[in-house]
Amino acid sequence: MHAHPHHHDIFRLHDVTVHYGRRCALDHITTQIPCGGLVALVGPNGAGKSTLLRSLLGWLPLTSGEIRLGDHHPRHLHPRLTYVPQRAEVEWDFPISVREVVAQGRWPALGLFGRFQPSDDALVDRALDELELTPLASEQIRRLSGGQQQRMFLARAVAQGADIFLLDEPFNGLDLSATAELIHLLQGWQAQGRTVIAAIHDLTLARAHFPHAVLLDTHLVAAGPTPETLSDANLELAYRHRLPVLGARP
Amino acid sequence: MSLHDWFIEPLSHGFMQRGLASALLLSVSGGLLGSVLVLRRMALMGDALAHSLLPGIAFAWLVIGRGPLALLTGALVAGLLTALGSALLSRLTRLKEDAAFGAFFLIAYAGGIALISQAGTRVDLLHFLFGHILGVGPADLWLSVGAAGITVLLFALLQRGIVLEIFDPIFARAAGFRGGWFHLGFLALAVLNLVAALQTMGVILALGLFLLPAATAYLWCDRFRSMLLLAALIGMAGSTAGLLISYHTGLSSGPAIVLSLGVAFLASALGSPRYGLVHALQLAWRERRAVRHTAD
Repeated sequence: MHAHPHHHDIFRLHDVTVHYGRRCALDHITTQIPCGGLVALVGPNGAGKSTLLRSLLGWLPLTSGEIRLGDHHPRHLHPRLTYVPQRAEVEWDFPISVREVVAQGRWPALGLFGRFQPSDDALVDRALDELELTPLASEQIRRLSGGQQQRMFLARAVAQGADIFLLDEPFNGLDLSATAELIHLLQGWQAQGRTVIAAIHDLTLARAHFPHAVLLDTHLVAAGPTPETLSDANLELAYRHRLPVLGARP
Repeated sequence: MSLHDWFIEPLSHGFMQRGLASALLLSVSGGLLGSVLVLRRMALMGDALAHSLLPGIAFAWLVIGRGPLALLTGALVAGLLTALGSALLSRLTRLKEDAAFGAFFLIAYAGGIALISQAGTRVDLLHFLFGHILGVGPADLWLSVGAAGITVLLFALLQRGIVLEIFDPIFARAAGFRGGWFHLGFLALAVLNLVAALQTMGVILALGLFLLPAATAYLWCDRFRSMLLLAALIGMAGSTAGLLISYHTGLSSGPAIVLSLGVAFLASALGSPRYGLVHALQLAWRERRAVRHTAD
């Protein structure tokens, strides 16, 4: 029972500004992000990639502007919209199994008290199966490899019934083969009409696999098809205030 | 000494019955709270919090009265002042939370000792600090019933919220669980249970009944629920053993219970098949040998 993909959906950001205290994290961003594909949020450290992700989720109070998907405020997009954390953000020694984590995907719908129905269990099983985690279902989560840990969170998002996935630095700490595996998986999702919006600092990955890109440096530098967005001129604009970053330029 | 002398005779006394009942009840809630402390890495902060209750308790004892309600009020005020004060300092000044909390609890603790010494012989300082099984009155037992009941009920109702708040707070927000209640609510629950454990365990060691069983269970369990259950069972076994030892040897009940729990903890830390020290050392040893062989 996947939520139906809506290819025509577009995130519309109008004049979005976010402050943390006095520091401006996002500066008057106006752009559109189309759903139904892979979108890379690119920019130097501190450019506001994570802030933009959290704004898209509707969690941050905006200093100005608004974000809509269709007619909806992002907060009303449950369970279609989901956030996949950086692997460093959770407690890996927590006494919990892979299946239990994936089953958390049903909690937003069930709330604190709702009982698991057979249909919920079926969704969890299907998500485990889709992400090829069924043989690991009863393992404690620390025993997974980096790629498996990432897939576990994707499975939780799938069990939630989401079709728009916001990923914060999903490739961080993954080795080459795990990276390739994740790319392959995300491309499969793209073919199914799912939307992935990922904060990424690896420009090569973004160029090779993400058709749409948004380039940030607190303000919006460029957005659109990736080859034009990540042009040399635009990258220079985005990274000019920073020390040269090894590998940041092709 | 016969079995009867060891186990049955002590329980013919009303104060032992009350003390044991109270300790068993608080083992259950303590196991739950302790597990959260361990998993949230708040063990030392919990200890500081327990110490900081002393001035509130002493003040209540001297000024308001000796009933559990008066003690509870004093302790709650002291605990919340410490928590809020250190939160304020760590947010608004360059002090980090551990330094702020440490400073507050030392000042509070010293203030409590000063208050009690001023009161002279009216209060026995040692009883406050280390527990005194004779002090467990019927009202204290009722407080334990209430504290354990509320704690178990809240854990049963809010289990999903608690798991997410520890494991993945960001997803908790995405799931629509509000985390704002968690920290303060947890603190209030902890203070409530600490006060209930006060007569048996004493201020200094009260946290031992929460922390040690949970840390022990953490060395064995790979599921949250089994950790909570095992922590409660370990607490019950340890406090029973400790109270009996205290009865027969005259050792204060607080240290007796903590030492009993300590035996279980140390044995687990050494011998737990998955997370024990012996296992870890074996692994490291094997790895080193493997490396040497490959190098050859």
